[in-house]
Amino acid sequence: MDLSAVTAALELKSYNKVADILDNLMLQVAADGVAFHNDWPYAIHLLSHFYVHDINSARFLWKTIPSSIKESKPEITAVWKIGQQLWLRNYGGVHEAIRGYEWSQELQGFISAFSELYTKEVFQLLVSAYSTISIEDAALFLGMSKDDATSYVLQQCWTVDSSSGMLTVKKQPVVTEQKLDPRKLQQLTEYVFHLEH
Amino acid sequence: MDPLEAIVAQIQGLSSSSSDIARLHTILKQSDDSLRSDSNRLSPILSLIDPSIHSLGFLYILDAFTAPSSSNQPQAEEVVPIITRFISACSVEQIRLAPEKFVSVCKRLKDQVMLLEAPLRGVAPLLTALRKLQVSSEHLTPLHAEFLLLCLSAKCYKTGLSILDDDVFEVDHPRDLYLYCYYGGMICIGQKRFQKALDLLHNVVTAPMTMMNAIIIEAYKKYILVSLIRHGQFSTSLPKYCSQLAQRNLKVFCQSPYMEIAHAYSTGKVADLEAFLNAHADKFESENNLGLAKQVVSSMYKRNIQRLTQTYLTLSLEDIANTVHLNSAKEAEMHVLQMIQDGDIYATINQKDGMVRFLEDPEQYKTCEMIEHIDSSIQRIMALSRKLTKSDEQIACDQLYLSKVGRERQRYDFDDYDVPQKFNI
Repeated sequence: MDLSAVTAALELKSYNKVADILDNLMLQVAADGVAFHNDWPYAIHLLSHFYVHDINSARFLWKTIPSSIKESKPEITAVWKIGQQLWLRNYGGVHEAIRGYEWSQELQGFISAFSELYTKEVFQLLVSAYSTISIEDAALFLGMSKDDATSYVLQQCWTVDSSSGMLTVKKQPVVTEQKLDPRKLQQLTEYVFHLEH
Repeated sequence: MDPLEAIVAQIQGLSSSSSDIARLHTILKQSDDSLRSDSNRLSPILSLIDPSIHSLGFLYILDAFTAPSSSNQPQAEEVVPIITRFISACSVEQIRLAPEKFVSVCKRLKDQVMLLEAPLRGVAPLLTALRKLQVSSEHLTPLHAEFLLLCLSAKCYKTGLSILDDDVFEVDHPRDLYLYCYYGGMICIGQKRFQKALDLLHNVVTAPMTMMNAIIIEAYKKYILVSLIRHGQFSTSLPKYCSQLAQRNLKVFCQSPYMEIAHAYSTGKVADLEAFLNAHADKFESENNLGLAKQVVSSMYKRNIQRLTQTYLTLSLEDIANTVHLNSAKEAEMHVLQMIQDGDIYATINQKDGMVRFLEDPEQYKTCEMIEHIDSSIQRIMALSRKLTKSDEQIACDQLYLSKVGRERQRYDFDDYDVPQKFNI
């Protein structure tokens, strides 16, 4: 079983590629009849699905892990705890599950990259979904202490009303490319011409 | 000379040019029966011939060797690696000469890995096999359904999705299409891609058929449930192009509890729907649809909140909780948040006042990305239209079709209906 492609991807921090690499590799070693279950990096595999928001694939992968392995390797179960919280959309619970385990050396980098990504995404969600939010809830969502959360959002130009404990969300204007390629216009003209004749 | 040795010699001698292979094919067809009767002596021969050079010969011998009727059937552990190796090595041109044989060997691989309770072992080989067998990506082979079934059993839903993006245009047998769409629908349900699942299941239900079959009935049951989850409604009338048989019978077969749950859903009351589900949980469970039925119930909260957005511009979380029967304002907030995250609604939550403001879809259809998207849709539809015209022309020239239409035309002579046009000015 050659896991060098996975190790290389982890070292290069191309975390979003890991899931595909591992999926294909698993099909390959299974087709070759290798008994891979004992040495398979399930923890990394689960995490790689979380990283690309494919919680369904993580869920199905979890179901295929033999129960003896789930029992003997607590780290796999710990990773899956994150998955459970993601599945339930318990935003605070995800951060808790990430903090609630002493991750091994080989997993640490990946876990903190995921944690960073998740915090960023939850922050974006807060921006799009809230106009005002309590400091307490914001801290819970972002998995930080109240002070850390406040200073984090203040950097993003939010404002704080300390008397009511409420944060006012500052929406960032979305910049989208609107300049049209003239060739596209030409193409559309041709479509219309085609339809009219 | 022993007939078996003679065949091996032929296989080894006649594998270079295409005319040689055609000759070999005739010989192999003739000796198929004798190969089958000698199946217990075939094992050593398989090591004498190279699967990549002598693919056709290897295929015939492998088929006879693994045939279930043979006196001492080889063990699964022995067969699986041989077939796997053959699939990856075989030459595409040669196996396409005997597609039935190739399909039957691949089906045996599926049966054997299922027997070993290791469906994962067959997933990659079957994918390779179907890619080798199909003439184009639009060609649906009998292996498609087998591959999807293995994906379901091995829980490799993501791998299964990879072939579902191909548009199917050519089908060998109707049964292949039914099963492909049914299993494909299940894969998409597992990945929560409900629209794609709905499309696939719709294809099964509306496919032409001359006899009722179990696949269609099961597909229709899932179709009802997925339609409720995706669209929040279910239309009991089937489209006109659906077969007569399906129009008449499907509703009868799926009356209880499927048509009934659609009815319970239409009242919009979560408590009623939950009570209905609990009363019929056994029935859903026995037909492996309980999980899907439960998702129908939870989708109703979403549907009810979505309905509110059509009436109100702002609404308090408290009111949302009351109207859609959630326990608390906090729970309502979480539901709204999830729906915003999924892009189901556009809204902003104001925690300070406990209000939600519903917004319009911010998409203004003028970004480059959107134009790119519209453009690719137009291209796709144009390609589809070209394809339809082409197949229409093909049918118009088809001898069977013409002879049938010709007979009909005699009965209804065109001139009889040629009414003088009264409104000519």
